[in-house]
Amino acid sequence: MLQFFKSTVGRKYLMGITGLVWMGFIFGHMAGNMLIFVGADAFNAYGHAIVSNKILLYGTEIALVLTLIVHVSCAISLTIQNRSSRNSRYAMTPNAEKGSSLASKTMAVQGSAILAFIILHLITFKYGKIYETNVGGVLMRDLHKLVIETFAQPGYVAWYVVCLILLLFHLSHGAHSIFQSFGILERKMQAKLKMGAWVYALVVAGGFLSQPIYVFLFHK
Amino acid sequence: MTKQTINLKLKVWRQTNPQTEGKFVTYDAKDISPDASFLEMLDTVNEGLIKKGDSPIVFDHDCREGICGSCGFMINGNAHGPEKSTTVCQLHMRHFHDGEELVLEPWRATAFPVIKDLMCDRSAFDRIMKSGGYISVNTGNAQDANAIPIPKPDADEAFLSAACIGCGACVASCKNASAALFTSAKITHLSLLPQGKVERGQRALDMVAQMDAEGFGACTSTGVCSASCPKDISLTNIATMNREYLKAVITQKEEMGGGDGV
Amino acid sequence: MSVKLDSKIPSGSIDTKWKDHKFKMKLVNPANKRKHSVIVVGTGLAGASAAASLGELGYKVKAFCVHESPRRAHSVAAQGGINAAKNYQNDGDSVYRLFYDTVKGGDFRAREANVYRLAEASVSIIDQAVASGVPLAREYGGLLSNRSFGGAQVSRTFYARGQTGQQLLYGAYSSMMRQVDLGTVELNTRKEMLDLVVVDGKARGIIVRNLLTGELESHVADVVVLATGGYSNVFYLSTNAMACAVTAAWKAHKKGSYFANPCYTQIHPTCIPVHGENQSKLTLMSESLRNDGRVWAPLKKGDLRKPEDIPENERDYYLERIYPSFGNLAPRDVASRQAKFRVDEGHGAQGQEAVYLDFKDSIKRLGEDKIRERYGNLFQMYDKITAEDPYKQPMRIYPAPHYTMGGLWVDYNLMSTIPGLFVAGEANFSDHGANRLGASALMQGLADGYFVLPYTVGDYIANTKLGEVNTSNDAFKATEESIKAEINKMINVKGSRTVDSIHKELGRVMWEKCGMSRNEAGLKEAINHIGQLRKTFWNDVKIPGTANELNTELEKAGRVADFIELGELMCRDALTREESCGGHFREEFQVDGEAKRDDDKFCHVAAWEWNGSADKPQTRHTEELTFDNVHLATRSYK
Repeated sequence: MLQFFKSTVGRKYLMGITGLVWMGFIFGHMAGNMLIFVGADAFNAYGHAIVSNKILLYGTEIALVLTLIVHVSCAISLTIQNRSSRNSRYAMTPNAEKGSSLASKTMAVQGSAILAFIILHLITFKYGKIYETNVGGVLMRDLHKLVIETFAQPGYVAWYVVCLILLLFHLSHGAHSIFQSFGILERKMQAKLKMGAWVYALVVAGGFLSQPIYVFLFHK
Repeated sequence: MTKQTINLKLKVWRQTNPQTEGKFVTYDAKDISPDASFLEMLDTVNEGLIKKGDSPIVFDHDCREGICGSCGFMINGNAHGPEKSTTVCQLHMRHFHDGEELVLEPWRATAFPVIKDLMCDRSAFDRIMKSGGYISVNTGNAQDANAIPIPKPDADEAFLSAACIGCGACVASCKNASAALFTSAKITHLSLLPQGKVERGQRALDMVAQMDAEGFGACTSTGVCSASCPKDISLTNIATMNREYLKAVITQKEEMGGGDGV
Repeated sequence: MSVKLDSKIPSGSIDTKWKDHKFKMKLVNPANKRKHSVIVVGTGLAGASAAASLGELGYKVKAFCVHESPRRAHSVAAQGGINAAKNYQNDGDSVYRLFYDTVKGGDFRAREANVYRLAEASVSIIDQAVASGVPLAREYGGLLSNRSFGGAQVSRTFYARGQTGQQLLYGAYSSMMRQVDLGTVELNTRKEMLDLVVVDGKARGIIVRNLLTGELESHVADVVVLATGGYSNVFYLSTNAMACAVTAAWKAHKKGSYFANPCYTQIHPTCIPVHGENQSKLTLMSESLRNDGRVWAPLKKGDLRKPEDIPENERDYYLERIYPSFGNLAPRDVASRQAKFRVDEGHGAQGQEAVYLDFKDSIKRLGEDKIRERYGNLFQMYDKITAEDPYKQPMRIYPAPHYTMGGLWVDYNLMSTIPGLFVAGEANFSDHGANRLGASALMQGLADGYFVLPYTVGDYIANTKLGEVNTSNDAFKATEESIKAEINKMINVKGSRTVDSIHKELGRVMWEKCGMSRNEAGLKEAINHIGQLRKTFWNDVKIPGTANELNTELEKAGRVADFIELGELMCRDALTREESCGGHFREEFQVDGEAKRDDDKFCHVAAWEWNGSADKPQTRHTEELTFDNVHLATRSYK
């Protein structure tokens, strides 16, 4: 088993599995956040429901942190190995007629930006300012207000847009790549899977993007 | 077929031996027939260099019909040049225009050290093959060739993987200098055939281990290997390798000794 | 005179000779095999299969190749297929028929016993190849598929698209790599054999030059196997790879190994025509294309119209016209000669040295997809080289040097006139006579390596007293010194002619005077010319760089020096053989453009003995050929 984790193929499996966990999480996260379009109370009640179930909350948090650590550490170790596998640079980097997609070539850069984003995102919201509100007689955190406040700042919205576009590329390549790493990519399915990955990435990133933009433009 | 000849400027990587530093040197390629192959164009340049008493540009080449896998270098950042499904010996000058400037570099990968100029050492591929790229059958042990029917789709698919010529373009163009396409093509070829299924697990484990030991990078599925492959080896081979590898890790049995008998 | 040429053909009836011979051989016991070493030079089909099989038996094998990897050997480029008398098609094939076709195809200039053994082995070769993972083409039922090839009326050719050689080579290569993994075979790449070392009259080792460093190395063994391919590159332009050379065989010749039938060269009918002065090699279009392509030339002399503008009734499908029973599948020598006649008479395609190979009718009959499945890679290759689409317009083809039937003389055991020196594959002369049929080269290479040498090498070792020899032996030292001297002499000429320019000049003379057709006057001129060229080489060659580094020009120069000497011998052999047979066509000896053999005077193998210097012509020895099974007859494909 140790050799499995040492091998390049094994570490790619780990990245795929952990990526898959996060893919599921962010889809749910995006879908839940869509409640922002419904209204403040629905949004806050949803947030409150999540934090009230401690088992679910901590279970999910532990799983996410662990998978993120595995994902990032595999990424770092593979990137180091990949860098050392070419000890002299090309004068002309292969990017011409036979090049590959930018998304696939810059996964590490995107990944680093997204990691920074996740940390900032947590600081802003999870550990950000605490407003309180009362929904149906229950006292709870007014996340809605925080969101509206945050997304009223143009700089913040711009940063989000940039990061979410990076996420779009990261997911589009990652989602497709998982099938490759897991070895379930058949010749016939190749085109369809690639499209499926893009659809997923567009839905997730589009969904997330719609929120700050909506707030910034229409929520005065 | 007399057509107008063209002139080119070549920036060529010159390196005397593996120990010394290399550098780019600029040469003129004059009066090149569009019907000439890229290597014939280099022959012409070399003929001029030799006449002047300079040392000719060294590059690997042999069959010059796109099958031996000897030739290969980067032309303006493209492995084997800009044409798809083409080795550099089968690349013809009609694809270039008069006055063009071309940068020629050897394959660059830690596992492929440069030997001289555009020639590099790809013996890492042989060591990957040696680690398990075969079926253990001694001469004289074979049963009748038609005793095991092989479904045509499997035979065809195995052939497509077996068509890899081991030129190294996949490694050269991959941003990670990964040899996944080369290694997986052999694993796929042999695991598709009934004769090769017996050893498929050990083969996948050994070949992947050797591939990593040679210092190639990991596959990050950019697909550039397949795009620059002169034989169009498909990216799905890599998926097959990954699957074979996982299966082997899960089902691996302790070796009971005995082994090959030699 | 020919006392020395004992072919050692076993007695008995043709179909039991090999079996009986194998039984009578002495065996080496497994524990002793480990103590014996074999050097295999060349790692193509013959070399790789021999190294693998000998390694499996337990001998210590050292394999050498000039390439960076054995997978680059030129066997890789064989396209069309490999023959085997499997009779899977139920069309009347048998070992005997393959034997018969091959003897007849070789124009009765091959040894019956060798050919029969080859036909017998063909069956096992396919089994072996499939077992080692070669993905040969299959039918929908999962069974192996066959195609037809020239010179046969049965369908017995196995193939893997247009890449049969590649797939078979990879099969043999991987078997050899398995032995490398197991430690029985030591692989030495980028090393070129520059001489054979003979100790006490026996081949006991070789000297190689490490092509990366220029260092000379001595290697000792009990047996040396040469599997170094043919010498078509004597013509400069040929379908052979750039590194194909006669050097290893030629050095062995100079050490006492007779060179047999050097004038038997195969000019392959379907190659892409020459396009220009700077062309470095010619590209073959597989003979398998003649299964579905029709060969024609314009009926009108000097017709410069494009092929599509020439109406059906003004096309001369000359192979179908002259050889109605074999049609486009006439053997190579015949097809090439007829193409040359058409061009010489002024019927060349658009006035050039070419004829057409047309797929129009097959595409109509089978559809473009079927043709693409059968020949896709060949069509693509043609398109790449010529920028013409063969699905739309006929291919232009012309004959080009492709294979050499001549080679080092060997007896039935594949041993040369030097004891302990075995020669396999194209490098020997043994199985194809004066013309090789398509899809037989792969068969011979693998038969020699997989099924002949493992037996005969063992028999030699078991029967021979082999004393202790090491590299400090005088013979090794002396040989190394003489190589060093020759290299220094060559590199210090510092003249004005590049190696390629000399090679091109040699090629032109050989092609014009000793190519598809030959005559006395031309051959005499050629001998003269080549003698001059030899002097030019040694007085005026220009080799940049030094001997102690990777020096590609020096490598080429050494090979060209040997080609020059060989070229002279080829012409002399062609001049002496006053008859036409197979690929050797003497204009003086013909009946209506067909070869006229002289069985009374020339039903023999000519084997030439080196006389110590290039200035002293070699001595010609003969080995009489007898035909007890296939009766000597004029070969007809009409």
